[in-house]
Amino acid sequence: MSDNKTPVGSKGDGTFFKALIIDDSVFVVKQLSQILQSEKFEILGSANDGIEGFEKYKELHPNVDIVTLDITMPKMDGISTLEKIIEFDKNAKIIMISALGKEDLVKKALISGAKNYIVRPLDRDKVLSRIETVLKK
Amino acid sequence: MRVEYINPFVESSVSVIRETLGVEVKREQITLKSKAVPILDVAVIVGLVGQVEGRVLFDMKRETALKIASNMNGEKISEFDELAKATITELGNMITGRAVTKLSEMGYKFDVTPPAVFSGQNMEISDSEIEALIVPIETPMGRIEINVALREK
Repeated sequence: MSDNKTPVGSKGDGTFFKALIIDDSVFVVKQLSQILQSEKFEILGSANDGIEGFEKYKELHPNVDIVTLDITMPKMDGISTLEKIIEFDKNAKIIMISALGKEDLVKKALISGAKNYIVRPLDRDKVLSRIETVLKK
Repeated sequence: MRVEYINPFVESSVSVIRETLGVEVKREQITLKSKAVPILDVAVIVGLVGQVEGRVLFDMKRETALKIASNMNGEKISEFDELAKATITELGNMITGRAVTKLSEMGYKFDVTPPAVFSGQNMEISDSEIEALIVPIETPMGRIEINVALREK
């Protein structure tokens, strides 16, 4: 990516998109944060399970532009968390993060209101293009 | 145990380790064990339930786990902390995910448990009904053993 290209995280008015990361893996949280921050996204917060994630979303609303949400998590899984967030804010832009081989859950999430999904392992370009697509919708 | 369940795990281990860590890997001689098998210091275990059932375990020495975690995070990790555990779990996730996709394409239907990581010393695992097949993989960071005990239901 060239240096003079507008970062994916830029809203075009001098401000930047704000993200919330919900994932039980500290490794994935770190990876996603690095990818997003390298494109000037602001990471508003992160949560390691669905219950904490939903609480964070409510607390940060309406400032969250994009949520990355892990499908398999302890306490409250990604699908239930997705449903709770959508019930609270039907315009929430949520992108699911899934391990390989969870196609059924991904389909369920898309039906339940997720805007897109990313399958791990995380590929920087794929992460950014999927998030960009969701933000432009 | 039929070799068609094992190959996807061995192939995906080799390719994921090669791609993710950027190192050359070498497959060693396969062994079959029907009794207790010793496990190295750090292990990731994944269960399969469905038309194929059993478990797959990836184990390695602590120092190998730390080297892998350091490589994957781009920073030196010298304690087996939360980040190291999550990183090794993610490696297990990546290997399992690719293998499971292959097995699904072959027509097998089953569910996979999320990977669990455990660590300790002098550990061993006994599978009372399924014999275990061990495929060691040699990497510059140390040896990783892929220990597969699966059967068709």
